[in-house]
Amino acid sequence: MAETISNISLSGVTKRYGDVTALDGVSLVLEGNEYVSLLGPSGSGKTSLLRAIAGFEAPDAGKVTVFGRDVTHLAPHKRGIGFVFQNFALFPHLSVYDNVAFGLANADSPPPADEIRRRVTDMVRLVGLTGLEERGVGQISGGQRQRVALARTLVTEPRLILLDEPLGALDANLRMRMRDELRHIRERLGVTFLHVTGSETEALAMGDRVVVLDRGRVAQFAAPDVILNSPANPNVARFLNRYNVLSGALRGEAFASAYGDLPYGKRVESGDAAYGIRYDRIAVVEETAPASGVGIPVTFVTSEYLGSAVMYFFEAADGHILEVEHHLGKGRMPEFRPRGKYRLQWKPEDAIVFG
Amino acid sequence: MESRVLKPVLAVYVGLFILFLYGPFIVLTILSFQQGPEGGPQFPIIEWSTYWYRHIFGLTPPSRVAPLPFGESLIRSLTLAFMTMVTSTVLGVMSAQAFRSKFKGSGFVFYLIVLGMMVPGVLTGLGTALVANTMGIERHWWSTAFVTHVVYTFPFAFLVMLAILNRFDASVEEASWSLGVPPMRTFRKVTFPLIFPGVLSAMLFAFTLSYDEFSRTLFASGRDQTLPLAIYGTFAVEIHPNVFAFGVLTTLFSFSLLTVYAVLMTMSVRRAGRAAIQEDIA
Repeated sequence: MAETISNISLSGVTKRYGDVTALDGVSLVLEGNEYVSLLGPSGSGKTSLLRAIAGFEAPDAGKVTVFGRDVTHLAPHKRGIGFVFQNFALFPHLSVYDNVAFGLANADSPPPADEIRRRVTDMVRLVGLTGLEERGVGQISGGQRQRVALARTLVTEPRLILLDEPLGALDANLRMRMRDELRHIRERLGVTFLHVTGSETEALAMGDRVVVLDRGRVAQFAAPDVILNSPANPNVARFLNRYNVLSGALRGEAFASAYGDLPYGKRVESGDAAYGIRYDRIAVVEETAPASGVGIPVTFVTSEYLGSAVMYFFEAADGHILEVEHHLGKGRMPEFRPRGKYRLQWKPEDAIVFG
Repeated sequence: MESRVLKPVLAVYVGLFILFLYGPFIVLTILSFQQGPEGGPQFPIIEWSTYWYRHIFGLTPPSRVAPLPFGESLIRSLTLAFMTMVTSTVLGVMSAQAFRSKFKGSGFVFYLIVLGMMVPGVLTGLGTALVANTMGIERHWWSTAFVTHVVYTFPFAFLVMLAILNRFDASVEEASWSLGVPPMRTFRKVTFPLIFPGVLSAMLFAFTLSYDEFSRTLFASGRDQTLPLAIYGTFAVEIHPNVFAFGVLTTLFSFSLLTVYAVLMTMSVRRAGRAAIQEDIA
């Protein structure tokens, strides 16, 4: 791993809690000025990784280098790494202004008072909190608190900011708005964001690159479209929540599944064998219609209206549920008979096989 | 049905509780207004007067009842209580802070600290006196007695702070560190203001426990007496209502301490009230 003055490098970071290995030799290189999302199911070690980078917990092994400086054994306050907490962790006894000014005013060598005032005022304006400076942090809304948490961190000008599910405590509407705002603010300041999230939509939408963490290891680190179109292993495909993942074994040119041999287009080297087909690449036809491509007989179970798309749920002969996504832009919502017999069909080249 | 029976029973219970709590004080207060200097410490009241209050402050003509020798012992007790309060609270906060991370042998140390309030006071006092004699250390209220007071009140301060820190959300401290603020300043600017209500309670415990401590002080304090010892000493001669008048005055003093505590508490809770709302939403 190349450590340079302009990147953040983790190599072999390992953390154990008793018998549980939270981080198992994580190695990553983040560039300066990029937005990286860190995706993983709960218990995958996302928060442990963030806390190890911030210095709240010392790793058992491995090295953390931030912009050319080895910080592995440095106290958190000497690292110059910002941290935004899921619960915001604002200082409840201070006003909005004092929360934002806290880091500057209490630094080891604080800047002059008028500079603090200028920088805090600018930052308060940048995050859109002008007029609320004298409020207590309990007297503002959730979204405003989120902005205080961000402003408080940004004003100390760290070049790396770690965000631990920063949108988790906000309602859905606000979450969408804050997504844009986070990206916007980051681009303006040119800092690196490492954003932990359990939501695949959020990770893919926000990150310039996405790290997928699985059981304490980096499963994949790539651009969102690469992750989406060629997940590195069946688990990544499952987290993405956009693939039907079928089990079976790879036999030469076909994948032997519970529904017979399935042909495929792309093969991804992986320890686990699985067959993946995206929700939105599947066509639904009557059971009696002439077969084309790959097909599985199924029974219709239920549907779920999502606004811009509809999700249909079908049950295969062995009870496995397969999901089909129909974008309403492609035409109106088809209706299926309850418990009706249908066949799911797709082109072999749209399917990925792992093994 | 249940509440129709339970409520009156509980009401009677609370009534009795308050009666036993304040009854002695009310009787004392009434008797302190007995006529002087002939009136004794019993009913009936011959004539209402403030004679015994004036007597305490030496404002009455000399009579056969000697003035109470409380002046110096009161100063001693207040000084001792203050010293104990400061020492125990500082120790309590520091040790409770240490217990936030489970160190090796923390369970053993916990019981070692708590033992200070469990061991009978007479034993502690007597033991301290014996050790001091053996080692040739002179006993004073400000030396040996002070040590026994700290040993006694420190566990209370420690337990109060332990309970407070147990519920403390450490992420605000981590946030402060990540903003570049060193741990000591983080404690001063973030942790301490947030645990201040607990610190106040610990101080109140330590002060009041030390102020009226008797059994430990009896053996450990040496020649100069603290207030509880001096009061007890006057009982050995003859009781006059001036002791009651003095009791009323010290109780009023305790109430004023409680008022100060309540005011400070309200102020810091009002500040932290914003925090509570924040937690509710998060």
